[in-house]
Amino acid sequence: MAIKDLTRDLTKRIASSHIKWSLIIFFVILLFNFIFTPNFFHIEIKNGRFYGSIIDVFNRAAPVMLAAIGMTLVIATGGIDISVGSVMAISGSIAAVLIAKMDVPFWMVLCLPLVFSALLGAWNGLLVSYIGIQPIIATLILLVAGRGIAQLVTDGQIIVFEHPPFEFIAGGSLFGLHFPIIISFGVFLIILFLFKFTALGLFVESVGGNSEASKYCGINAGRIKLVVYIVSALCAGIAGLIAASNIKAADPNTSGDGLELNAILAVVIGGTSLNGGKYFLVGSVIGALIMQSLTTTILTMGVPVQVTLVVNAIVVLVVCLIQSKNFRDILAGIFKLDFRGLLRRMPLKGGNK
Amino acid sequence: MKTKKLLVLCLILIVAFSVSIFSKPLKIGFSQIGAESAWRTAETESMKATAEELGVDLKFSDAQGKQENQIKAIRSFIAQKVDGIILAPVVETGWEPVLREAKRAKIPVVLVDRGIKVSDPSLYVTLIASDFVFEGEEAGKWLVKKMNKKGNIVELQGTPGAAPAIDRKKGFASIIKKYPNMKIIKSQTGNFNRADGKQVMEAFLKAEGKKINAVYAHNDDMALGAIQAIEEAGMKPGKDIIVVSIDGVKGAFEAMVDGKLNCTVECNPLLGPLAFQAIKDALAGKKLKKWIKQNDEVFPMEVAEDVMPSRKY
Amino acid sequence: MKLSFSINQKYLSIIATISVFVILYIVSCIVFEGFFSEMVFINFFIDNAFLGISAIGMTFVILSGGIDLSVGSVIAMTGVITATLVEQAHLDPLIVVPIALLSGSFLGLLMGCIIHFFDAPPFIVTLGGYFLARGIGQVISLESLPIYHPFFQFFIMEGIPIGDTVIIPYIVVIFLVLFVIAVYVAHYTRFGRNVYAIGGNIQSARLLGVPIGKTRVGVYTLNGFCSALAGIVYTMYTSGAWSLSGKGFELDVISAVVIGGTLLSGGVGFMAGTMFGVLISGIIQTFITFQGQLSSHWTRIVIGVLVFIFILLQRFFSSLPVSSKATRVTYASMREQAELTK
Repeated sequence: MAIKDLTRDLTKRIASSHIKWSLIIFFVILLFNFIFTPNFFHIEIKNGRFYGSIIDVFNRAAPVMLAAIGMTLVIATGGIDISVGSVMAISGSIAAVLIAKMDVPFWMVLCLPLVFSALLGAWNGLLVSYIGIQPIIATLILLVAGRGIAQLVTDGQIIVFEHPPFEFIAGGSLFGLHFPIIISFGVFLIILFLFKFTALGLFVESVGGNSEASKYCGINAGRIKLVVYIVSALCAGIAGLIAASNIKAADPNTSGDGLELNAILAVVIGGTSLNGGKYFLVGSVIGALIMQSLTTTILTMGVPVQVTLVVNAIVVLVVCLIQSKNFRDILAGIFKLDFRGLLRRMPLKGGNK
Repeated sequence: MKTKKLLVLCLILIVAFSVSIFSKPLKIGFSQIGAESAWRTAETESMKATAEELGVDLKFSDAQGKQENQIKAIRSFIAQKVDGIILAPVVETGWEPVLREAKRAKIPVVLVDRGIKVSDPSLYVTLIASDFVFEGEEAGKWLVKKMNKKGNIVELQGTPGAAPAIDRKKGFASIIKKYPNMKIIKSQTGNFNRADGKQVMEAFLKAEGKKINAVYAHNDDMALGAIQAIEEAGMKPGKDIIVVSIDGVKGAFEAMVDGKLNCTVECNPLLGPLAFQAIKDALAGKKLKKWIKQNDEVFPMEVAEDVMPSRKY
Repeated sequence: MKLSFSINQKYLSIIATISVFVILYIVSCIVFEGFFSEMVFINFFIDNAFLGISAIGMTFVILSGGIDLSVGSVIAMTGVITATLVEQAHLDPLIVVPIALLSGSFLGLLMGCIIHFFDAPPFIVTLGGYFLARGIGQVISLESLPIYHPFFQFFIMEGIPIGDTVIIPYIVVIFLVLFVIAVYVAHYTRFGRNVYAIGGNIQSARLLGVPIGKTRVGVYTLNGFCSALAGIVYTMYTSGAWSLSGKGFELDVISAVVIGGTLLSGGVGFMAGTMFGVLISGIIQTFITFQGQLSSHWTRIVIGVLVFIFILLQRFFSSLPVSSKATRVTYASMREQAELTK
C-alpha cells in the first residue's frame, strides 16, 4: 500500500513541470552519448562490481548530490550555504589525521568528522537565525576560514593513509554498486522521508515562503533554520569522507573547491527557486546527475581543454532556456509544435498545467 | 547596553593584541601565491626556515591564488619600507607597474619558481626557478626511450592557463612529435590534484581501454590519482601502463618504490637559501645572473629506493 | 536600543558601516607603524579601483533583486580581448577600449534579456555567462598576455599630484567619477528609483507601472559595462591580461556590496555603503599584509574572523532587527515611487 502511494507520489512529482524538464535534459545528454560515444553504456563486471562510464556518472556525482540535497533545504528556507566546500575539506582532513596520526577506533573516525561538521553547520545556523546575518555573508565567513581550518588540521600537507575499512566508503561496493551511490541515495531517501513525509518539510517551506506568517503559526523559524544548516553541513561532511576515501588521502587545499557553485547550480537546475519556499529534492538529485554526466561526457569525448568552459556555458544556457515556459512557447510558435497537446497525450499523468 | 559596549571594547582589544610587532635588522617581504598544493607548502616552509636561520624579519603574505592580492602585498611591502622582496608570481604578466614602484623605492625584487614578461628586465634582480619546458622535454625523452619510440600516451594537464601546465605540455609535445609512432591520444585537465587526476584517468580508461600504453601527468598528485584509477580498472600501473610525472614529491617516490610509478622529473621547491642569498648579494651591489636555473634531475623507479632517504620534500 | 539624537532609521546601517571602517582604520594606525600615511590610504583606492567599479554595477543588480556571477570572468575576457587587439592586431587603444566595453555590455544585455524575457533565474543565467566569458577568454589565449602600450601605463603611472611624492593615479579618478555618477543615478533619477522599486517588490512595482523589462535588462547591461570597465582598469593596473584573472572575484564583489549594507534580497541599500564595503575588504587585506607573521592557514582564518567582527560591530551599531528595518525602507521607497508615478 505504502509503496503504491510512493510510486503514485513519484509519478506525480515527475509530472510536475520542473522535474520533468530536468529529467528530459538528463536523458538528452545520455542519448547524445548513446549516439556519439561508443562504450558509454557498456557495463562489465570488474572486481565484483559494475564498471562503465554510466556507473561513473552516478559514482562521481555523489559529493555534489549530497551537497545539493542539503543545499536544497537551506535554499528552501530562503538562505544559501556557500561554506559546503570548506566543510567537506575539514571533514576529510579530520578523518585522515585520525587514521594516519592517531590510534582511535573506526567508529570515531566516522563520527568525529561528522560531529564537527554538524557543529560548523550549527555555527552557520546561529549566525543566520539568531544573530541575523545575511546567509551569504554568514557562510562566507566559514568558506574563507574553513579552508584555513582544514589546512591547519593537516598542516597544509596531503595526508595519505592505508585503512581498508575507511577505503570501503568510496572503494567498496554493495550489490555490485559503488558504495558512494548507496550512500548518496540512502541519504537522499532519509532526507526525503524526514522532509516530505513529516511536518518538518512543511515548516521548512513555510519559513522560506513567508517568515513572518510562519511565526504567527507558531513555527520557530530560528530553530528550523538551525536544523537545515546542520543538515547541509552534515551532507557536506559525508561528501568529505567519500572524497578522502576515494583518493586514500585528504587534500585540504583543493578538496571541495567550487563545490558550493556546483551544488547551488544542481539545486537551481532541479527547479528550486533561490527565493525560498517550494523545493524539489528529486530535482536537485537530477541536477547533480546532469552536471556529472556533462563532465563525464566532456572527458570521454576528449573536448579540448580550452573549449570545455564554452561547452559548459552552452549547456547551462540551454538548460535554463528549456526550463523557461516563455521560451518553450516561442519555440512552439516558430515550429508550430503543440507541446501541451504532445504532453497531454504522453502516458505521464498530470501534464503541464 | 553596558554589556554590548564591553563586547565592542573586547573585540577591539582582541584585534589589537592579536597583532605583534617585531623589529629586526633585515626586513624582507615574501609574496606567495597561496597554499594550493603540498609542493607550494614546501616552498613556503623553506622560505620561513631560511628566514629564521638567518635572523631575517620575514613579512609573509599568502595571496589565496589572486594576482591582485599579490600586487596589494607588494604595495604594502613598499609602504612598510622592506629591504627586499621575494615574489612567487601567480602568472607571468602584469607586474610592470608595481615592480616599477619597487624600483623607484630602490627595493630589490627576486622572483622564484616562474618568470615574468616585462619590457624592462632591470625591474627584478634575478629569477630562481626550474625550467618547466625542460622538465616536459626530459619526461618526453625518458618516455621515448622506455617505450621504444612507439605507443599511445594520455596526458593529464595542469590547470588550463597556468604557466607550468602550458610549458610542461609544450616541452613534452616538442619531443613526442618527432616520433610518428608515438601519439598523444587524449589530453585533459586534472587541475593539478589527485581527485581530478583520478576522475579524468577513469574516463580515459573507459574511452580508450587497453589502447593506452602510457600516462604523462603534469604533476605527481595527478599521477598518484591516475594510478588508483588504473588499479581500479584491474590493470597494473607501472607495468600495463607506464606512468611518468613531474615534481618529485615524497608520495611519488613511495609509489616508485612500490613499482607503480615509473619515473618522475624533479622540480625543486626548496628555494629559500638561494632567494635570500640573492637579495643579500643585490643589497651588497653584486651582479647576478638573470636566471639561476635549478638542475632538475630525472628519477626513474630503479633508483627510487636509494634516493628516497635523502629527499627533503 | 533608542538613540537619543534622531537619525532617519534608513541611514542607520550605512552609518554603522562607516563607523566600523573608521574604527578599524584607527586601530590599524595605532598598531602598525607606517599604516597612517598618505601612501597607504591612497593604496586602498588604487588596489581596489577595479573591485569598486565592479561593485558599483553589482549594487544596482543586487538592489534590483538579482545577482550576477559573471563579473570575474568578464574582467578576464575583456582583458584578453584588449591585450590581443592592442599587442597582436596593433589597433589603437582608443578603438580597442570601446570594443572591450561593448563586448562586456553586450554580454550583460544578453543575460538581462534571457533573465527578463524567458523569466529565467539570474543565478543560472549569469553562471552561464561566467562559463562563457572565461571560456571565450581561454579560446582566445590560454597564455597570459603582456601589454606594453604606453596608453595603459599612463593611467596607473600618472595622476593628479598631491603633496610632493604622492599622486592619485587616473584609474582612481575613473573609479571616483563613476562612483559620483552612480550615486546620482541610484538616488536621484527615475531609473534608480525603478531599480529600488522592482527589488523591493516586483508585483507592486508592476502594478505601479514601473517598466520592469527596461529596468531589469538595463541593470544587467549596466553591470556588464561596469565589469568590462573594471576589466580595462585591471589591465591598466597590471599591464597584462590572463584568462584566469578574477577567479573567485564575484564573491569578493558580492560580499563588498553586502557588507556595505545592501540586502541580497533586493530593494534595500545605498551606493555609499558599497564604497565603504569595498574599503573594508581593502583594509582587511592590508591589515593581513602589514601583520606579516601569519601562515597561510591562519591568514584565511583571521580574514574570516575579521569579517565576523565587522558584521558583529555593524549589527551592534545599527542594533535594530533587520526585518523591520528592511520593510520600512522598502515601503519608504515604494511610497516615493508611488508619488512619482502619479
